Amino acid sequence: MAVFSAGYGNVGSSIYYALGIVALVAMGATPVALGVAGILFIFTALTYAEGTAAIPEAGGSASFTRRAFGNTAGFIAGWALMLSYIVTISISAFTIPPYLSFFWEPFKSDPAIGTGASIAIVFFLMMINIIGVKETSLVNIGATIIDILTQVSLVVIGFITLFNPSVLISRIIDNWPSADNLVLGIAMATIAYTGIETMSQMAEETKKPERSVPRALVMMIIAVLVIFAGISLVSLSAMPPEELASEWARDPVAGIAYYIPVQIIRVVLEPLIAVLAGTILFIATNAGIIGISRLTFSQGTHGLVPRALSKVHNRFKTPYVAIIVFCLIAVALIVPGFFAIDMFSDMGALYAIGSLLAFMSAHAAIISLRVKEPEMPRPFKIGWNIRVKGRDIPVSALIGLLATFSIWVLLLVNQPYSRWIGLGWMFLGLVIYLILRWIRRKPKDQWVVRPGEK
Amino acid sequence: MFKKILVPVAGTVADTETIKLACRLAKKDKGKVLAVSIVTIKRALPLDAEIDSEIKKAEDILDSVETAADEEDCEIETDVLQSREVGPAIVDEAVERSVSLILMGIAYKQRFGQFSLGEAVPYVLKNSPCPVILYQQYGSGKPVSGQSGQL
Repeated sequence: MAVFSAGYGNVGSSIYYALGIVALVAMGATPVALGVAGILFIFTALTYAEGTAAIPEAGGSASFTRRAFGNTAGFIAGWALMLSYIVTISISAFTIPPYLSFFWEPFKSDPAIGTGASIAIVFFLMMINIIGVKETSLVNIGATIIDILTQVSLVVIGFITLFNPSVLISRIIDNWPSADNLVLGIAMATIAYTGIETMSQMAEETKKPERSVPRALVMMIIAVLVIFAGISLVSLSAMPPEELASEWARDPVAGIAYYIPVQIIRVVLEPLIAVLAGTILFIATNAGIIGISRLTFSQGTHGLVPRALSKVHNRFKTPYVAIIVFCLIAVALIVPGFFAIDMFSDMGALYAIGSLLAFMSAHAAIISLRVKEPEMPRPFKIGWNIRVKGRDIPVSALIGLLATFSIWVLLLVNQPYSRWIGLGWMFLGLVIYLILRWIRRKPKDQWVVRPGEK
Repeated sequence: MFKKILVPVAGTVADTETIKLACRLAKKDKGKVLAVSIVTIKRALPLDAEIDSEIKKAEDILDSVETAADEEDCEIETDVLQSREVGPAIVDEAVERSVSLILMGIAYKQRFGQFSLGEAVPYVLKNSPCPVILYQQYGSGKPVSGQSGQL
């Protein structure tokens, strides 16, 4: 349950902003884009289930990739993951104020106040994580249960009070995007499904990860697909896509509650969604900080990031350098919000660039390990395989690899912001990696160091 | 009756007497004593993170209880565990090792001016798979400050 809650806390939180980002490009085809990306999500979740059950380490997909292709590929996957964690921090923090605007309008209407509040949230969580305040998994489990119940209630109430097939179909058809935008919408929709990595990271903390992680992943697939499908259909029943993509772009779920025609339900739902979305996004921001600090430390133990980044604070026993550095980068990504709120979709694309690269690595690693290490114990093994030279190759991982690669290329071609920031990030990482290699001048397989060592 | 006794130690004043008591109880039944020191790992780090200073501190605590056990002419097994929280680590170890008794030494602690058992002891009392004995050393009945123990 704790693993499921951690994963759903991340994936479930993305519905609070992904819907608006997808609607910005896919318009009427938003439910279609989310549905197609959902199929891809199933393939990716299966890949993670096999990898995590076989290699239950804190590095997640970076660990599978390192095992399959060595340190350089492991570094690339880990560095890409770091990007997606940084953007998770930024995008989650950036969407908290619009939801809280139910209580105080300037959070949404005044970019300075909204962006300032987002930055304050990141700094607050940065301090909390440096000090290392205790957090029990019960908080996550409680928030996840309330979140699922509220989302399900919203979908049910929305279907009863708002759903009108003829209106929905006309809104989809009248606002059908160009082929390019549809494909781009599918690409952007992948941001809705990026919590898998968090579950993979938690594998080492669970009892019997070989059973609990695949089970949690399957539970998450079902919960996420049902709720995302429901909410996307209800949203287009509630309002036209252009409104979803403008007025409610950063708080689409609040928009659905706003359009519930029964006043007594609306009076309850609007503040509930404001508080709940704020809480879940706050947890997601924190999960991003925890995720990146754990990943950095894990990469550090293999000598794949500068040792300073995995330095542990003498008193608080937390990786304070990594927390400070990555929180500051996350804040830097939020700063343009002071001047232009429409950079929101750019953040979404950047998020997808990092996570798709990590997904690609994970699919490729699973396929490679099937070839290189066929005898490796696999407590969870993906079915539906094709046999190539005596090896079982999972078809879902092959499709997943091709699809994620195509979507990744498409994003790079169509999104200048994410192309330059994303590729710049990867280039910076490679430079750091090469410098590290040059400094150590040791064979790669000897790069096992203890980050606490000076 | 007590064939395998688990003694969580945390560097408090009660450790020495607790381990001696465990040795005496174990001798009666020709049992074994297992002393564990728990390193809590913050959530910002992977659970298997090796923090040298914390591991050394835990090993020093175990060394001192081994010395105390030697005085009782008793050989004990020691182990350093890493966990997010102390209570669940003790209970999990008790289940995994099939221990017949958990013997916990506690120091006098105050929270908001009131005597407090902390978080780990109530958790173990609630979830333990075996009998639990709490030992509070005579004379430790006053506030103890600056101790590293978390039990």
